[in-house]
Amino acid sequence: MFELKELKMNHRGGRGGGGGGSTGGGTTGGTTTGGRTFSFLRAPASLNVNMNGSAIMADGASIRTWTFGNGFNDDRSVPSPVIEANQGENVEVTLNSMMEHTIHLHGLDVDQQNDGVPATSFAVGGEGNSNTYTYQFVAPHAGTYMYHCHVDTHKHFEMGMFGTIIIRPTDGSTNRVWDNGPTFDKEYIWQLTTFDTTWHSGGGMGGAVLQRYRPNYFMINGKDGANAVNDSTTAITGAAGQKVLIRINGTSYLPGIVRMGGLQFEVIASDGRPLAVPYITTEQLCCAGERYDILVTMPASGQYSASIEYRDIRNGKALGTASTTLTVV
Amino acid sequence: MKRRDFLKSGMAGSAAFALSGLTLLSSGKAQAAISNISFTAEGSNKTMVDGSSIFVWQFNDANGTGPGALTSGLVVNEGDSVNVTVTNNLDRAINFVIPGVMANTPSVSPGASRTYSFTAPAAGSYFYTDGVNGEIGRAMGLAGPMVVMPADGSNALYSGGPAFDRQYTLFMSDLDDRLNAAVANGGSYDMNNYEPNYFFANGLSFPDTTTGGDTLVSMGVGEDVAIRFMNGGCVTYPMHFHGYHVNVASRNRVVETSVIEKDSVQVELSSCVDVILPVAQAGVFPLHTHYVPGVTAGGVYPNGGLILMSAS
Repeated sequence: MFELKELKMNHRGGRGGGGGGSTGGGTTGGTTTGGRTFSFLRAPASLNVNMNGSAIMADGASIRTWTFGNGFNDDRSVPSPVIEANQGENVEVTLNSMMEHTIHLHGLDVDQQNDGVPATSFAVGGEGNSNTYTYQFVAPHAGTYMYHCHVDTHKHFEMGMFGTIIIRPTDGSTNRVWDNGPTFDKEYIWQLTTFDTTWHSGGGMGGAVLQRYRPNYFMINGKDGANAVNDSTTAITGAAGQKVLIRINGTSYLPGIVRMGGLQFEVIASDGRPLAVPYITTEQLCCAGERYDILVTMPASGQYSASIEYRDIRNGKALGTASTTLTVV
Repeated sequence: MKRRDFLKSGMAGSAAFALSGLTLLSSGKAQAAISNISFTAEGSNKTMVDGSSIFVWQFNDANGTGPGALTSGLVVNEGDSVNVTVTNNLDRAINFVIPGVMANTPSVSPGASRTYSFTAPAAGSYFYTDGVNGEIGRAMGLAGPMVVMPADGSNALYSGGPAFDRQYTLFMSDLDDRLNAAVANGGSYDMNNYEPNYFFANGLSFPDTTTGGDTLVSMGVGEDVAIRFMNGGCVTYPMHFHGYHVNVASRNRVVETSVIEKDSVQVELSSCVDVILPVAQAGVFPLHTHYVPGVTAGGVYPNGGLILMSAS
C-alpha cells in the first residue's frame, strides 16, 4: 500500500505569499528554426516561477498571472514557455521556486517520483521543501504534451502555470511529426486558454472559495480578440499547398471546438500517439487535458477565420469564441 | 481468480458513504439466471467530505446503503432475467430506466412499488436512472452503474472483446448544493442554473476514494485492467490518467477504431466509456477529471473526482 502525504485539505483558495525566484537559467532554443513559428526552450530546461505576471486582454484589461519562465524573452506570458526534447533522450526539467509549486509532466507517463503531485511525491518550495528539483524522464513517444503545476491545481493552472512540451522524433527532425511519420512545412501550437477573472482577483491570493468556474475571456495561446489575430504564433500563414501542423493542446478547463474556417484538415495524432485510423474533418473537439495534432494543407488562396469555440461542460452551449486568421500568402 | 477479486471488492464494506456499494446480483456463472433486486428510492441527508450536510436522493438496496449521492450498482450476465422492484419513498413519482435498454417505463407513485423486468442486454457498461424527473433525478442522485458481463463467463468487456485481469467501475457524478437545498425545502429549481460544486467517483469524494473498496484502483504490473467510466452526472468528465496511457475500447458500447491510445479520455453526458489500462509501471498515480474545478468539494482542493491508482 502507500501513504498519502499531507493533504492540506482544510485551507480554502490560495495561500498567501510572494512571488517565486529570480529569472535566469536554462538552455534557450529561442529562434524559430525549422517550421516553427514559436520560441522554445531546448531541454535540459530550467524554470523559475513568476507570480507577478500579467496578461493583457484585447479590451485593455490586465489580468494577474502566475507563470513558469526562465528569463528569456519568450513571446508569451501565458501560456508558459514551450519545451522541446527528442524521443528517447533523458530529459531534465529543473524547477526553482521559493513558493510551493510542482511540474506535472502531463501525458509523458513519468514515474511516481517525477510526477509532480504533492500527495504522491513532493512539492518544490514552501516550508520544509527543497527550493529546487530536477524532474527526469525518458521521452517515450514523439508528440504533443503538456506540463503544469499540480499544487492547488484548480487555482495554479488557471493562473497560467501551464505550457506545451514537444517531443521531436529520435533524430530531432523539425519537419516530421514522429519517426517515419508525416512531414510538415510550418508548425503552430494552439493552446486552449480561458480566464475566469474572479479567480485571478487580489493578485491571485486571498481566501476566496474557488468554485463554479465562469470564464469571461476566451483565447488562443492566451490571446483574445485582435491580439489573437495579430499574434504571429497564433494566426496561421502559409503558401498554397504547404502543409501546416497545428498542435492543439487542451489547456483550458473547458472543451473547445477547433475550426479552420471550414477548411478540411487531417487529424493524425492525439495525446502523443498516432491515431490508429487518421481522419479528415472540418472541426475537432479538444477537451481538457487532451491534445490533437492536425495537418492543414493550405488552399490555393484566400483568408479564412480559424477559431476555437468554447463549450459549457453542462449543456454544450457555446460560451465564447476566440478567432484568428488563416491566410494564404 | 481475478473475477473473485472483483466480486470480493464489489461486496466489501458497509459503511454508508464510504464505499461504492456495488451490489452483485449474479454469482458469475455463465448460464442465464434470474436476478431479483429491490431498490428503495429515498431521500436523506449525507455528510460531505468537507463536513457539510446535503439532502440527496438514492436508490438504496436491501444489502446496505449505497454511497453518497450516489448509488447502488448492478452486475449481471448477458441474457439474465432481471427484475428490479422499486419502492418509492420520495415525495414524487419516479421510474426506472436504463438508456440503451429500456425507456419510457411506467412510473411508480409515492409510497408505491413497481417491478421493472428486462433481459440483460449485450455485455458492456450501462447506467440506470430515473426518467420522470429529467436531470433533476440524476442530479439528486437517482442513478447508478450497471455492468453486463459476457454470457460465456469470460473476463472480457464483451464477447470476443478485450480481455482483462481486473475491472473497476468508476461512476462519475456531481451535485449543485443549491438544487439539493431547494428540493429539501420543497422548492423548485431551474436546471438551466445548474453549476455543480461537489463531484464524486462511485459516490465518494477524495480522499474517501482512496480508503479501499472498489474505488481505489489496485493493479499489478503487467496486468490489463478494465476501467468502466459511466457519466451519471450532469456535466462532462475529461478523465486524465497520470503514469499511463490507456486503450479506449468502446464508447457507449460502440467499438472505438480511431482514437485509441489516450491519457485523457472524454466521458460525455450520459455516456459510458470502457478502457483497458496496460499496467506498464509500479507506483501510485492520480486519475482525475481535468475539469480541475471538479477536483473539489465546496471549492476545496483536492477533493471531488480524484481517484488513485496503485500498481505494484
